[in-house]
Amino acid sequence: MTWDPTCVTEELVVNMGPQHPSTHGVLRLILRLDGERVLEVRPDIGFLHSSLEKIAERLDYRQYLPYTDRYDYLCAMANELAYVRAVESLLGVEPTPRCQWIRVMMAEMNRIASHLVYYGALGMDTGATTVFLYCFRERERILQLFEDASGQRLLYHYFRIGGLRNDLPPGFCEGLRSFLDEFPRRVAEYDALLTRNRIFRSRTEGVGYLSPEAALSYGVTGPTLRGSGVSYDLRRAAPYYVYPELEFDVPTRPEGDVMARHLVRQEEMLQSVHLLHQCLDRLPPGEINVKVPRKLKPDPGEIYVRIESPRGELGVYLISDGSEKPYRLHWRAPSFHNLQAYPEMCQGAYVADLVAILGSLDIILGDVDR
Amino acid sequence: MRKRYGDNLWDLLRILAAGAWSILVGLYITGINLIRPGVCERYPRRDHRPDYQPRPGYRGDFALLSDPERPGGLRCIACLQCQNICPDQCIHITPEGKGKDRHPVQFRIDTGLCQFCWLCVEVCPVAAITMTPDYETATDQPQKLIRDLDTLRERGRNIPEPQRVEPVGCVADGGA
Repeated sequence: MTWDPTCVTEELVVNMGPQHPSTHGVLRLILRLDGERVLEVRPDIGFLHSSLEKIAERLDYRQYLPYTDRYDYLCAMANELAYVRAVESLLGVEPTPRCQWIRVMMAEMNRIASHLVYYGALGMDTGATTVFLYCFRERERILQLFEDASGQRLLYHYFRIGGLRNDLPPGFCEGLRSFLDEFPRRVAEYDALLTRNRIFRSRTEGVGYLSPEAALSYGVTGPTLRGSGVSYDLRRAAPYYVYPELEFDVPTRPEGDVMARHLVRQEEMLQSVHLLHQCLDRLPPGEINVKVPRKLKPDPGEIYVRIESPRGELGVYLISDGSEKPYRLHWRAPSFHNLQAYPEMCQGAYVADLVAILGSLDIILGDVDR
Repeated sequence: MRKRYGDNLWDLLRILAAGAWSILVGLYITGINLIRPGVCERYPRRDHRPDYQPRPGYRGDFALLSDPERPGGLRCIACLQCQNICPDQCIHITPEGKGKDRHPVQFRIDTGLCQFCWLCVEVCPVAAITMTPDYETATDQPQKLIRDLDTLRERGRNIPEPQRVEPVGCVADGGA
């Protein structure tokens, strides 16, 4: 039986979410349906709004740091990195070389951990439960290392303005090495189990197409953009810290569908392993902290700092009026911008495809709403 | 656009064969993982593995370290720095005494508000406040989340020294 475009049934408006398990948090999708076909999708956001930008205005620069963990909770290190870089640039402080290497290491480990959650969640969304459990098993090893270093599993608060909370604990490098040696084999397992699976492929190939032009016009960044064939990675385009010295590829896929974005993320995990090997080989000794004044009072001015978070371009726009507190702080959240392209991707999709497309966007609602 | 399958018999057979192969590969991988050692642990770990201790520097429940020489029996000099740096304003201290005799008579931490950020521990000039590896703080009554001076002193009695993360430099252990 084929789809007959002249056959039109009564339109139906359905709410998907905010409690729907596949909307990755509290996202409400207002669907206009014609049978099983989606005519229109309107994402309704704001359920997880936590005024994190306003809170910054009543706290001083140091006090706000633990809050940065809390808005995109799957890549807390990346958020801390962006905020710390912004404040340090305003203050004119340059972190020590060892601190820079450790920060890059932590950001890359967090990228693997975040992509593992994505990987498992997309499997769950398309009906494969097993790979989710395997991904969380590997993620647990990274979280264990983070716990050793920072004292917490998820909300690390490990970076400080001018340095780090503490140096790497004993056994950290060995633990990370053994993980890195094992991890590529596990990715090959996921690849055989999920990516090459016939059912998963027919659920993802050719679904949720996003053209490179549309992606760029919506401001989509990160793996979602690279899945549309645009090779744009801030670690390459606007390198920071030690990334210019490191060797890595920026994986891109031209197809622009769910499978392309999935493969980009899978390849990125292996690139992060490659980066971490280089970091471990070249980690210099030395101090981790530079002295910063007890009361942080940056000169009046404004700055925009951006980094490549696991989800895309994460930017911090910070205005200082010379006092102890930020005058204004704005997060340029990658999930928010990536979600804007969602209705475009859902043109002519089935209801079941919506879940796969949303999973491939890898949005975090805490990041969308802030 | 999405491909359509099963338009002719040959195509259908090919798809069925590929699907069956996927299932076999999946069973093979899950079978391998079946014989691998398990990773799940019982909660709480402490009952299951009595020697389990979170790493030093774990951010758990609070304690105030004791010092018998000082008034109040605590190291705390009630300088209010932790109260001031706390992002959530969950620490409330009532100080008493002047100069060297200054000590807290009231020390309240509302762990329901606390986000366990370690800033109070970091800012303390005499290393009086610390966090213990105790992570089982769940309760059914909100008022039980509030730690007062006696609770904090009792918790700190068994801790000889505040847990500090020793900066063990782990430099390039591979190549250079």
